[in-house]
Amino acid sequence: MESESPIETKKGKSKTPRKAKESILKQKSPAEFFAENKNIAGFDNPGKCLYTTVRELVENALDSAESISELPVVEITIEEIVKNKFNSMIGLVDRERVDEELYDDYETAKAREKRLAKEARAQEIQAKNAALGKKVKESAAPKSVKGRGEASFYRVTCKDNGRGMPHDDIPNMFGRVLSGTKYGLKQTRGKFGLGAKMALIWSKMSTGLPIEISSSMMGQNYISFCRLDIDIHRNIPHIHLHEKRDNKDRWHGAEIQVVIEGNWTTYRSKILHYMRQMAVITPYAQFLFKFVSDAPDKNVTIKFARRTDVMPPVPVETKHHPSSVDILLIKRLIAETSKQNLMQFLQHEFVNIGKSLAERLIGEMGPEFSPKLAVKSLTDQQIVRIHQLFRQAKFDDPSGDCLSPAGEYNLRLGIIKELHPDMVATYSGSAQVFEGHPFIVEAGVSVGGKDVKQGLNIFRFANRIPLLFEQGGDVVTRTALKRISWSSYKINQTQDKIGVFVSIVSTKIPFKGTGKEYIGDDISEIASAVKSAIKQCCIQLKSKIVKKMQAREQQERKRNLSKYIPDATNAVYDVLKEMAKSHASKKKRIEERDADILQNVSDQLITKETLKEKLTQHVEKVDYEMALEYATQSGVNEEPREDMYLQSLYAKSNFFDFHSPIFVFRLFQ
Amino acid sequence: MADKKKRRRAYSDSEDASQPFKHLLKSDDQILQILKSFSSTSSSSTSKPLTLADLSLSSTCREVSDLSLSSVQSAIESLVLQLTHQILSGQGFSFTVPSRSSSNQLYVPEVDRIVLKDKCTIRPFAHISSVRKTTITARILSLIHQLCLKNIHVTKRDLFYTDVKLFQDQLQSDAVLDDVSCMLGCTRSSLNVIAAEKGVVVGRLIFSDNGDMIDCTKMGMGGKAIPPNIDRVGDMQSDALFVLLVEKDAAYIRLAEDRFYNRFPCIIVTAKGQPDVATRLFLKKMKTELKLPVLALVDSDPYGLKILSVYGCGSKNMSYDSANLTTPDIKWLGIRPSDLDKYNIPEQCRLPMTEQDIKTGKDLLEEEFVKKNPGWVEELNLMVKTKQKAEIQALSSFGFQYLSEVYLPLKLQQQDWL
Repeated sequence: MESESPIETKKGKSKTPRKAKESILKQKSPAEFFAENKNIAGFDNPGKCLYTTVRELVENALDSAESISELPVVEITIEEIVKNKFNSMIGLVDRERVDEELYDDYETAKAREKRLAKEARAQEIQAKNAALGKKVKESAAPKSVKGRGEASFYRVTCKDNGRGMPHDDIPNMFGRVLSGTKYGLKQTRGKFGLGAKMALIWSKMSTGLPIEISSSMMGQNYISFCRLDIDIHRNIPHIHLHEKRDNKDRWHGAEIQVVIEGNWTTYRSKILHYMRQMAVITPYAQFLFKFVSDAPDKNVTIKFARRTDVMPPVPVETKHHPSSVDILLIKRLIAETSKQNLMQFLQHEFVNIGKSLAERLIGEMGPEFSPKLAVKSLTDQQIVRIHQLFRQAKFDDPSGDCLSPAGEYNLRLGIIKELHPDMVATYSGSAQVFEGHPFIVEAGVSVGGKDVKQGLNIFRFANRIPLLFEQGGDVVTRTALKRISWSSYKINQTQDKIGVFVSIVSTKIPFKGTGKEYIGDDISEIASAVKSAIKQCCIQLKSKIVKKMQAREQQERKRNLSKYIPDATNAVYDVLKEMAKSHASKKKRIEERDADILQNVSDQLITKETLKEKLTQHVEKVDYEMALEYATQSGVNEEPREDMYLQSLYAKSNFFDFHSPIFVFRLFQ
Repeated sequence: MADKKKRRRAYSDSEDASQPFKHLLKSDDQILQILKSFSSTSSSSTSKPLTLADLSLSSTCREVSDLSLSSVQSAIESLVLQLTHQILSGQGFSFTVPSRSSSNQLYVPEVDRIVLKDKCTIRPFAHISSVRKTTITARILSLIHQLCLKNIHVTKRDLFYTDVKLFQDQLQSDAVLDDVSCMLGCTRSSLNVIAAEKGVVVGRLIFSDNGDMIDCTKMGMGGKAIPPNIDRVGDMQSDALFVLLVEKDAAYIRLAEDRFYNRFPCIIVTAKGQPDVATRLFLKKMKTELKLPVLALVDSDPYGLKILSVYGCGSKNMSYDSANLTTPDIKWLGIRPSDLDKYNIPEQCRLPMTEQDIKTGKDLLEEEFVKKNPGWVEELNLMVKTKQKAEIQALSSFGFQYLSEVYLPLKLQQQDWL
């Protein structure tokens, strides 16, 4: 060891002079940061990028429509753009390959030989199979192996009937990362307030094409049209075109069009699942999803029709709960508050602090605090003291009034509409609290249905958006798999088609991991709330299932009982016959009436058939009695019928809407 | 032999590092002396075993006894005649079966075993939930009637294969078989149905099996399989000082190959896990006839203790016959949770207990047959507290023969059993 060290140091020394260049202090714009770390916003690879883009646009559209209490109508179109079309779009001339060997997918002579040999062999086998009359499997068409750099491009368009955007705000709303309308403390769908901006950054990175936005607000006689991209280094919008156009149809809403690199083949099912689950959780919205490409057989058009016009209330912005704030947040609130003194600050900037509690808190803080203390003059130490007290003091839990759960009715409708289950039960828990943030868990459990796999099918929603990735670690998955004993609710975990729907809404969803794709299993408050919600559903289902089983039992009782008659009578008769034999020979001393039976058996007066007949009679009698009993018990009460929603055909009939910031009043004539 | 031993002892200093505690061992003669005195006290102290009849229990208990073939036959016949009367009168038929559910079990501390209370359930044929079991019961009765007539033994597997279509799987026919012996009030062996051989025995024991004399010191490494029908076993002779009950096959093989029973005269028995009826009957017979103390070597986990308790107090499934199946006063020799630290078992050989293990452990703490022995409660508490378990094989970390050469002799020398 010691002998080696000098050499080491020498080596070390020789390296030191070649140190990195003077590091220059660089600043990174938020847009640059997200461009480099796009995976944290769900833009991991082209396929996921396509998925996340769709997702962000759809969620923005829903938020926008809900904010003006309009039943959402969302049209989303993905159009595949082949390479030459894309090149012509950006004005690039298609070039033929000259130096074939330069390319990665170049087939060397050896490789071709191998491939041809393999194909010949495959054909031979097929011919043999055909000759033998075996069913010939549809030989998979030789897959066109996509070479590296052979990217696919898609134009994603999303049109809604929402609020629209003010003409002048459009550039900043799209071209500046981390500027948004969703930064208050309330239940929101968005992830980071990135939304369409991240899609724009991705389009800039992958295609270089700008984003196109058309938008009009209600009652506006023009449509704003804007084509822009983003200056990533300076985090400012770069406007190509910004003009007002005619609005003949009095349309309001927004239409956003972006061209990005993507991968439809690998993320097709994810995107369709997403749309389907979105339709489950928002049955009051109408979605039209289209995939358009040059190959007509690949095209997809799905319409998710509206099934209800009951919309959950718009979530309201709320104030912070004292137990959820940190020092930084307290400082920010102090900087932003309009209140002068500490007393008012405590009362007005937080929930659940009343006048008397505020007084007690200030008294507890120490002698240097007083109700009249100017809030802006608080020192850092004093703020730390306030924070400490907030952590330790006992406050009432925040109410769930600021939350907007999907609602049992909507959840139920969504499940019925999309899965057509045989049975469904829903449950909505009361608001609970985790680290000062209220949350509500709603659950639905369905059994049976079309296109449902056997076993557990788990559907997770957080703030009314579906979560599709990283299912394994999620609190819902783990609870459903490990902590619910399905069999005790007469549900077969492996055989039955079980759908488990859990929707969690909160002002802050405690996501795990960077992608915000799952909620960890380590939060006991949420885990127990999820468990009890699912259990409640199961309890409801159990009584239905038991009833069904009873009904089935009624029908099959006689058959099931009769099935065993031969086995039972044979067993009894076998013993009787042996006994009769020995009785005849040995004359064992037995009772008279028993002796009679044995005598009758030997004389063939009692045979297997006699026993069978008697037992059958008995079974019939019992069956009749039980059927009668069942009929008297269950004859009266029938299941209450479900309400049905009929979509009005003439929605445009005569009514006036009176809009106010908080509600819409609709007057039918 | 003696030479070898001496040589081994000479090297013992250098072996200390790999086989700790070896230096504590006294000479074999001294240990033998300790064992002899222990063996003699335990054999002399055995008094006449208590029976349930001697106790005035608040609830009546159901116990079965060995019945002769002819009485089993007549019991079945009178039952069948009863059934025939019921069927012919048009009432269908039903069995009254003693319940073997855990609510019908009772631990009686005076006799130190689990017994069955007298609750019965009625199994009518014409009911959807009991029709299957009732039919299977009738079928089993008729099959056993045949066995009685022909005076032969069959295995449970044989019985199952006579009507696979009806029984569906062997668990069902096995369960009904226990019901039937309960119902007729006889032991399962008196039904002439036996289980396949599972247990093995090796060591200082000579007995006769169906007339053949067996010397268990001359049975090779594997030992003698314990015969399934205990009624054909007799003439037990032994010069052993104790019986060593081993949970695992691996430990048994180690001891058998090292001929542990020659160093310290003993009889080594294992049932390879949960004991079957034959092994339990055999152990009971050895205990009563040879009056030897029984020492148990089980894993240091809840299941080890559970197996110990099955030998000692009986299983809930067979509690109706606990009088014949249980061997009282088994000493827990090892591996006990306190041994883990006492013998410095390295951390990598200990396993963390799963949630299920801990639950089983806590459940055991509630059981009467554990509570009666304060030493066991202490050990089990330690296990649940440290949340660690270890198998007998953990001792192999000090060498494969550590078990037979150091651990067991030392334990015996210190009389370290509970």
